[in-house]
Amino acid sequence: MDIIAGIIQTSILAGGVLALAALGEVLAERVGVVNLGVEGLMALGAVTGIATVVATPNPMLGFALAMVVGFFFGMVFAATTVYLRANQVLCGLALTLMGTGMAATIGRAYSGTPAPATFPPIAIPYLSDIPLLGRALFTQNILVYLIYIILPVALHWLMFRTKHGLDMRAVGENPAAADAAGIPVNAMRFWYVSAGAALAAGAGAYLTLAFVPSWSEGVVAGRGWIAVSLVIFAGYRPINAVAAALLFGIITSLGFVGQARNWPIPSPILSMLPYLGTIAMIIVPVLAWQRMRRLMAAPAALGEPYFRDVR
Amino acid sequence: MAYRIQRIPSAPPSVAFAARGAAIVLALVTAGIVLAALGFNPLALGWQVLRTTFGSSYGLEDVGLLVIPLIFTGLSVAVGQKIGAQNIGAEGQFYAGAFAATGVALFVPGPTALILPLMFVAGAVGGLVWILVPTLARAYADVNELITTLLLNFVATLMVYWVATGPWLDPSGRALATTARLPHEVPEFWGIVHWGLPVAVVVVLLVAALFAFTRWGYEVRVAGSNPQAARYAGMPFRRHLIVVMLLSGAIAGLAGMFEVAGTVHRLQGGISNNFGYLGIMVAVLARSSPIGVLPAAALMAVILNSGIVLQTQGITVSTVLAITGLILFYTAIGDELARYRIVRG
Repeated sequence: MDIIAGIIQTSILAGGVLALAALGEVLAERVGVVNLGVEGLMALGAVTGIATVVATPNPMLGFALAMVVGFFFGMVFAATTVYLRANQVLCGLALTLMGTGMAATIGRAYSGTPAPATFPPIAIPYLSDIPLLGRALFTQNILVYLIYIILPVALHWLMFRTKHGLDMRAVGENPAAADAAGIPVNAMRFWYVSAGAALAAGAGAYLTLAFVPSWSEGVVAGRGWIAVSLVIFAGYRPINAVAAALLFGIITSLGFVGQARNWPIPSPILSMLPYLGTIAMIIVPVLAWQRMRRLMAAPAALGEPYFRDVR
Repeated sequence: MAYRIQRIPSAPPSVAFAARGAAIVLALVTAGIVLAALGFNPLALGWQVLRTTFGSSYGLEDVGLLVIPLIFTGLSVAVGQKIGAQNIGAEGQFYAGAFAATGVALFVPGPTALILPLMFVAGAVGGLVWILVPTLARAYADVNELITTLLLNFVATLMVYWVATGPWLDPSGRALATTARLPHEVPEFWGIVHWGLPVAVVVVLLVAALFAFTRWGYEVRVAGSNPQAARYAGMPFRRHLIVVMLLSGAIAGLAGMFEVAGTVHRLQGGISNNFGYLGIMVAVLARSSPIGVLPAAALMAVILNSGIVLQTQGITVSTVLAITGLILFYTAIGDELARYRIVRG
């Protein structure tokens, strides 16, 4: 029974990294911008997080600074893709190369050292005393509650229950119509893409401050790309994105358990599980439920820059 | 006398070319400023790079060796873009091709003259198999190939790492994490540069001719620029898409085959050196033109070799990676800005 509690605990931790990055990507894609720089942003956030806690052992500060760094790089990316209208796919790939390269360069000084301070688990009174699952579900660090409950609910409410959310989705679906209705299309895109980038970098910091917790080159290991794929699987919805990330965390933690318990499967094969799982997760639903396609469809103007004079 | 800025659908070639040049120069200047801030002397480094790369036949041979996989991966990405497919899985197809070719070399007995062509075919098939699922998913379920091809890169990397450290580990026990030296190799024709280079050029010319002179190539180009028009004209879009994507994967697989058979002579983890990702840049620089892949790959090889020279001067691989990203970023901006012109009126 301990093993099940352990799997759940690890799944929640592993899924949290992806959930936070995926929420950021939901924000960017809902306003019509594909940000393929998530992997690079996560690397930058991860190294910022570790560098901060080495300087001052305050994980909260590390997390906050990582988000500031992510926001800054997000603004650069958004300025070029939204205002200069440069190719989003290319700029995203460039951001990933720059981010991973810069992070690895800066991170050399911290390579292999464990984080001197991490987010401590907080036990929720009474709930954490529930036998079996109480400890696993309710003795997590503070970010877990933020990522799994507060953020997705807040974003869902913002996007689907407010006038502002309607405007936001209109920008991603039909920017010309949104513009005609007086919605500031480019400003909306700029700020949401930047905010999404901040969340992605935050996910990186969460990785090095709560999940792994240390820096090594390649620590992000494609999680940024998995987060981008989860957004498709989640149909661009915040609550689904978090659920998908959790499902993903379960796949990841099964791989860990296999390695720890010496299953007769080589560990590189177990490490393939998350990637193969993601591929299956984005292909199977479209095949299985043809009718879901419309419901899960991407925002109509996704990836397209908006020109007011070219209607 | 009022001036205004006008956007035109596509930039005239001379402007586009100038914008490219300016983008690369500006990226290098930015990198130089950063390096200077880190305490390096960028001018001395630049001189060192030029002297080492062009000042000796060794430097040119290194470039000649690096350009081979870049031509293949760049061509692979460019071919996909012809029909609007974003194959960013050339890295994985590279590994799959290297894996399949190694398998043939290690386990099929026979004379080199027979095994090498077999390895060539195996490399292509390996790459093709690796892109099969993303291709079918895109063609029949409209699943974005950008993501599926990319995720398979990680799977291929892990697979090669696993066989090179496990089942196919060098049985002599001398090597730590590679297979034994392959019994067959592509011969060299100039210093360390092997016959993969002329083969790569021939493949580029063949693919270019295929697109330029055949009915199939014409239909693919139409389908790539306007899928709707292609459908109305009765062109089999889906069939073309499948063929083009599989071709793209097969070409990337060849990159892996030549890397193990001509350059490294062993299969090991990390053998691709990011050639798959760099292929995306090559294709971008080539503006998806197969012939354009040749100069673009040459430029990329010089940049890569400069990176190796920089490493001897104490600058890390990751810094070089960051500079490469910077060049791509500036290129994307330059490409867009080249479409604007100032008109009077």
